[in-house]
Amino acid sequence: MTATTERQPLLRADDLTMTFGGITAVKDFSFHIEPGEIVGLIGPNGAGKTTCFNMLTGFYAPSNGRVRFKGQDITNRKPHAIARLGLVRSFQKTNVMKRLTVFENVLTGHYMASRQSLLATFFPGEAVRRAEREARESAAAIVETMGLAQRMNAPAHLLSCGELRLLEVAVALAAKPSLLMLDEPAAGLNSHEAGTFGAVLKTLIGRSIDALLIVEHNMDLVMSVSDRIVVLNFGRKLAEGRPAEIIENRQVAEAYLGKAAA
Amino acid sequence: MTLERNILLAFLAGAALLPFAVTDQYILHLAIMALFYAVLASSLNLVVGYVGEFSLGHTAFLGTGAYTAALLSTQAGMPMWVTIPLAGLVSAVFGFAIGAITLRLQGPYFVIVTLSFAEVLRIVANNWIAVTNGPMGLAGVGQTLFGDVAVTDKAGFFLIVLGIAAVALYLSYRFVYSNAGRAAVAVRENRYVAQSIGVDPFGTAMQAFVLGAFLAGLAGGFYAHYISFVGPEVFRFAFMATMIIMVLLGGKGTLIGPLAGAVIVTVLEEYLREVQELRLTLFGLIVMAIVLFLPNGLMGFIALRREQQAAKPTLNAAKERTV
Repeated sequence: MTATTERQPLLRADDLTMTFGGITAVKDFSFHIEPGEIVGLIGPNGAGKTTCFNMLTGFYAPSNGRVRFKGQDITNRKPHAIARLGLVRSFQKTNVMKRLTVFENVLTGHYMASRQSLLATFFPGEAVRRAEREARESAAAIVETMGLAQRMNAPAHLLSCGELRLLEVAVALAAKPSLLMLDEPAAGLNSHEAGTFGAVLKTLIGRSIDALLIVEHNMDLVMSVSDRIVVLNFGRKLAEGRPAEIIENRQVAEAYLGKAAA
Repeated sequence: MTLERNILLAFLAGAALLPFAVTDQYILHLAIMALFYAVLASSLNLVVGYVGEFSLGHTAFLGTGAYTAALLSTQAGMPMWVTIPLAGLVSAVFGFAIGAITLRLQGPYFVIVTLSFAEVLRIVANNWIAVTNGPMGLAGVGQTLFGDVAVTDKAGFFLIVLGIAAVALYLSYRFVYSNAGRAAVAVRENRYVAQSIGVDPFGTAMQAFVLGAFLAGLAGGFYAHYISFVGPEVFRFAFMATMIIMVLLGGKGTLIGPLAGAVIVTVLEEYLREVQELRLTLFGLIVMAIVLFLPNGLMGFIALRREQQAAKPTLNAAKERTV
């Protein structure tokens, strides 16, 4: 094993590779997330960030490499099984249950906390009623945290783009994840909204979640919330470090902007 | 949620009074068929409205239940209180087996494969003469309820089917408003979100599917005793068409919808009897009109109107609604 065996990372990916036919989307990508960390995953369009997300959460089966979460090997497990271990993600293309209200969306997110036997479904006892009450209270609290209290009973399809992103995070939070992974959560937010959003994200660590992985193109947001940043380019890891180091990194600037004229 | 529950309770309570108020055998027969169809439509609604896939093979469970009850009654002389629950259980087992195959499919694939299962069962019923008596069917299904108490009049059958309807609505209500029901809705609305919050799409769909099969089996068991004859027709597409019309007309994905649909269609069918040949044509037109203009059925239409009403007036009204 590696040098850091004394303390296990929350999530550890080794040599992840994903090929689609002849195209290699991600190649030998390794990284880890420690408890308490906010990690930003950035890179130009098509760098393989979303593919990484899909491999980590079981939506894609990696062609090669392993994923470990809380010390367990979760490579090739089903998405719902991975979610039940506490690794919950959001999606790049806004994904909520459009015909349900904000509250119902978040309440549905509590699925894992209130799972019950079939018998209890049909003949609910006090325990089920209590779980139901707790789920409703928790759902209301999460809606409040994400600043959607005024839209509590609005059907999701009536929300603005920014509100939808918040709702998406709220649904993911409702699943009480240990590691939350957000795929471009600030897309469509204006800079003021993005600032507020970043502040909310920071308060989550230690309170609602153990760690956060965020893919985002809004550099101000990523740089301000992340403890550490991993840069992907053409499916390979280009750089890794603290935000200040990444901003200084010549290779990263070239990947985004191209080489400066000599 | 509470409104829906109260309407259902009021409906059942009102229905319970019917046999005491009405003695006309013909009307009682209509009421029995309406409730029988209400159970069937509710069970189909669990698949169409909560799994979100369109099953054309729901008659498989109706027929399995009917044959189970008929065989237990004619071969073993068992009374209704045994045969009808067993009919439900056997159908549930069939539901599990068929679901294990079909629920891996989606969209048109699911439709076709469920349809073929019903068709296969019909052919089996038609040809396995040693057990099913083939096209002649099983006649003389007993009418004893328990011990030597026999159900002799329509009022008795009405109370039995009302009991089954109450069980069906209770189980559906519990399922739909439980965590499992919410998970089913999540899968229907957005498969990806459902998985990311830990819902197993296959397992959740299976629960709704098996529950639907169980309820359809109960209805089938009742049908066998009431008509006292079961033939391969129970697997025929005509039942399926009727169920679909009821669910679509009433509104899929609601509990009251299939109930309302069953009552309306049963009554309409009787009215339209006079125009014999045109009947099915008219029903075809009705279904087309519903799909085009009321895609969420009557209940969907009412819910929409209520939403519009609530969205219009003052802030106070909106506040009241959130409380």
